[in-house]
Amino acid sequence: MRTLDWIVLITSLVSIVAYGLYRSRGSDTVDRYLLAGRTMPWYAMALSIMATQASAITFISTTGQSYVDGMRFVQFYFGLPIAMVIICATAVPLFHRAKVYTAYEFLEKRFDGKTRSLASLIFLCQRGVSAGLTIYAPALVLSVILGWPERTTTFLMGATVVTYTVLGGIKAVTWSDVQQMCIIFLGLLVSLITVIVLLPKTVSFGDAVFLAGAAGRLNAVTTTFNWNDRFNVWSGLFGGTFLFLSYFGCDQSQVQRYLTGRSIAQSRLSLLFNAVAKIPMQFFILFIGAMVFVFYLFVQPPLLFQHAELARIGARSEFPAVAESYQQAFDQRRQATLALVDAHHRGDTAAVERQVADYRAAQLQIDQARSEAARLVERSGGEKGFSDTNYIFLSFVTRYLPVGIVGLVIAVIFAATMSASSGEINSLATVTVVDLYRRYIRRSASDHHYVLASRMATLFWGAYAVLFAGWGKRLGSLIVAVNVVGSLFYGSLLGCFVLAFGFRKVRGTATFVGMLAGEAAIFWAFLFTNISWLWYNALGCVVVVGTALAITYLAPASGVPAESATEGTPQPG
Amino acid sequence: MPQLPQAPDEPPPFLRTWRRVYTVILIYLGALIAAFYLFTRAYR
Repeated sequence: MRTLDWIVLITSLVSIVAYGLYRSRGSDTVDRYLLAGRTMPWYAMALSIMATQASAITFISTTGQSYVDGMRFVQFYFGLPIAMVIICATAVPLFHRAKVYTAYEFLEKRFDGKTRSLASLIFLCQRGVSAGLTIYAPALVLSVILGWPERTTTFLMGATVVTYTVLGGIKAVTWSDVQQMCIIFLGLLVSLITVIVLLPKTVSFGDAVFLAGAAGRLNAVTTTFNWNDRFNVWSGLFGGTFLFLSYFGCDQSQVQRYLTGRSIAQSRLSLLFNAVAKIPMQFFILFIGAMVFVFYLFVQPPLLFQHAELARIGARSEFPAVAESYQQAFDQRRQATLALVDAHHRGDTAAVERQVADYRAAQLQIDQARSEAARLVERSGGEKGFSDTNYIFLSFVTRYLPVGIVGLVIAVIFAATMSASSGEINSLATVTVVDLYRRYIRRSASDHHYVLASRMATLFWGAYAVLFAGWGKRLGSLIVAVNVVGSLFYGSLLGCFVLAFGFRKVRGTATFVGMLAGEAAIFWAFLFTNISWLWYNALGCVVVVGTALAITYLAPASGVPAESATEGTPQPG
Repeated sequence: MPQLPQAPDEPPPFLRTWRRVYTVILIYLGALIAAFYLFTRAYR
């Protein structure tokens, strides 16, 4: 980081925070603090929804994911447009007409207090852990750039985000999201252009795409079905639909974004914008990772992208042999790559096939050397299951991007975190105050009291998130970790809302028992099977609905009568 | 806490009905998957 980078970084961050706080003036009542007085236009909500989901993790980890595994992660998002359409047609009008602050408040109107409380607690557990991971990612950035311990940088990031969220409320969060997404789009475009410009002069953009394809990094669609395969078109379409239904329909961190809309149509448009834009955006980010991979076909990448760990294993007696093997493998791969480009230019198909085979043999040797280095890290007292996926893009940015652009990319990562974390902490505080504090401790207090309680809850959840951030480094690829954690809880929540929207005869007790059974089924699958986490949501949802229906029809006398439970509940429009 | 105001319902700004908007979104998804599939095949 040079002076110009620091200027770009600090200017970007200060302007985002200042603008958000400026737009949040007047957030002194609880409906303004938590729901922006329901005045937000669709484009602000749309970008805020996108920003809350697209945290720094998206930027750092997705590019690394593409570098090591290709672009097939994009299939994970195939279910998103389907989920958005379903939510727009069902949940959005229901939540708006029920005039609720949280999605779980709706559950008490439909079922009973215990179902609402269980759903709230599930959300608080899950989102609290995710908030920690969201803070951890940029803390990682600071740690790499400044050479500070991750614990220190995690605390600094957490403190900044909490201060900003406590002061601004949801309006500050939303408007800073808008600005931040603009910076993200700019940063993405500049990153891609820069990595292409950095390729050798003899390698055109077409050659780079050809090489990425030959290296298996452009595998955007896999049609083969496999229960244990995380990313294929089927798990994306079916598992992904359930996951995104849960995320956008039952997770307060997203529901709260579109509850701020000035009308039902504005809320729907904000979600549909994401249905259209999210997949191309993820494709674009993954493509940047694939291009970084191509760049490193010509420029030798470090044996490990995490420099501190590389330094740690440097003194070991086994290291020189591993480093030498890696060096040889890279030289062979580079030669094979250049020959491949040449054969491609000549249109010599037989030569292309030969060079691809040579390339793959060298790549295998590189992978083996990197695996051996990772084992050395473990033997040297490093973390078990060491992975440097999250450091790949950062390492590239800090080493090769020109002055000024490094600052811009780092600003993107910081801004993304501030926004995503503040959204999460804000929603955690909202659920704590609305669904627990107001429901069980202070049922009627002044508006000022609830605003103060919301600020205190924000402080608490910020501290909780910082504590859980330390867990992040043990989870390999962060983008996957966040979704795994979500999948452990979302299925039950989704099942609960499916019952609320679609099964009028089901009562609160049946739903409550169904949710417990759903959680048990998900944890069983997580602990004792190899089923991909993308299916947990579908599994949990099916178990919740099946159990609740069985109780309803086998023991119809239990719980509150359906008529009184659904009294006053708005129906889908 | 104050009672929240009733949010008005409005038609979409284009295509006249929400059902049509949803249909267009799903067609778009199909086209996107088809395009990615062709992309994968082209550079396999």
